[in-house]
Amino acid sequence: MAMENDKLFVELEASQWIKTGQAACGDDFRCVRIPNEKRTIAVLSDGLGSGIKANLMASMTSTMALEFVRSNMDILQSAEIIMDSLPVCEIRKISYATFTVFDMQLGGKTRVVEMDNPPFIHLRNLIDLPKNNVKELVSERWPDRKMRITEVAMAPGDRLIAFSDGVTQAGLGCPGWKFGWRRDGALNFIKRTVEKNPEISARDLASVIAAEAMSIHPERKCMDDITCMVLYLRHPRVLRVITGPPFRKETDREYANLAVFPEGKVVLCGGTTANIVSRELRTRVDIDIKMVSRSGNLPPPGYMRGVGLVTEGILTLTQVAADLESGDWQNSAAAAKEIVNLMMDSDIVEFIVGTKINEAHQDPTLPVDLEMRRNVIKRLQASLENKYRKNVTIRYF
Amino acid sequence: MSEQGMIKVEVCCGTTCYLLGAQSLLALEKSMPAPWIGKVEIVAMPCLEVCTNDNYSHAPFVRINGEIVGDATVDLISKKVNDLLERHAQ
Ligand code: FES
Repeated sequence: MAMENDKLFVELEASQWIKTGQAACGDDFRCVRIPNEKRTIAVLSDGLGSGIKANLMASMTSTMALEFVRSNMDILQSAEIIMDSLPVCEIRKISYATFTVFDMQLGGKTRVVEMDNPPFIHLRNLIDLPKNNVKELVSERWPDRKMRITEVAMAPGDRLIAFSDGVTQAGLGCPGWKFGWRRDGALNFIKRTVEKNPEISARDLASVIAAEAMSIHPERKCMDDITCMVLYLRHPRVLRVITGPPFRKETDREYANLAVFPEGKVVLCGGTTANIVSRELRTRVDIDIKMVSRSGNLPPPGYMRGVGLVTEGILTLTQVAADLESGDWQNSAAAAKEIVNLMMDSDIVEFIVGTKINEAHQDPTLPVDLEMRRNVIKRLQASLENKYRKNVTIRYF
Repeated sequence: MSEQGMIKVEVCCGTTCYLLGAQSLLALEKSMPAPWIGKVEIVAMPCLEVCTNDNYSHAPFVRINGEIVGDATVDLISKKVNDLLERHAQ
């Protein structure tokens, strides 16, 4: 198992909706990866109430919880410190925040620590696996708050799913939803979703769960903050981005062969790149001219059979870099948007970069200055690694 | 693959051609003159690889039934295609 786990990847993502009318989310999500321990820790915290105050409580809670778990501090003691430092609700006499922590070590242990959030789901083969290794702890000083520590045996393909009560209580009191969506309602929705799309990423699953909870709220007004976090243990998804003609023509064939990559997905960025690959592999590019109307300010994307997506090169990659930096690509041109979506669905992005300069790009009549390919790749690498937690490799040709 | 007898217009969508006006050429597909319909096929292509070749004129490039046309404009393409259509008709 440990060996097997070594080749696996932990994808962790969350999705949130803020209560309608509030400026800040009363839930908080935080995640850290500790590469040398092969460890991923994530916290979802729900601050009592909503708005700025709840946001503050939730982020204090999650920051402390993350730090304590990371430093392997005793859980009960950690929870006591957290509760001691948060104000206590006058009416309910409980402290202001709840939390769920996923602490997963690849090839090692996984545990889930929960305090008063809806119980997490361990999904394997569409089954919410019963938990058999649960410890309950009660602090003497805070008898109203129960902590549960669950040791989980993770297998490849397993998912851990946790949410704030904005999910389970969605629709509460509304016609048809007397008791809200509840954990069972959410679970059934999750099973249906995963059944339809067995490899759905953590990112997509978290976002459809949160969106579904949102849609149950009356008039689509979000009555409580909604947060869903999903951990997905799986084989890493690799995207290979091939761009630019090789410096030496002799390496064209080796370069083109890299476009045949059944273990992952491939994008060819650049007309010359596509031509080299199609010449060497004797396959052709089809550009759907009907895409032109959707292609925005970039040339329309195409497709190469047996390879994958084909786009124009430098303009498209520059747009992708800008989209990743801004975090907003909903209205981006089709080609850029498709690449960003492929990147978001991957854990590892491999750039194969040809370094030959295209003389036509030095043409003084061009209306814009084209960025150097290598610089664009560096910008992409920085965003992907720092902002989106992807692994990036670059190989020059 | 062009169907038998169809006139094939390949519009280059490479970086250089695109920046120098290919976008408006692509729009031709949507606003094809009536007499062209069923006789002319307009497709988008990755770089036609003549932008770096001094033997050809200037981007944007299209290829009409195999012949490279530089400094392409909608008018120029229309003229070439209409000539070919006329020749076909004879
Ligand atoms: S970009 Fe059009 S021929 Fe190269």
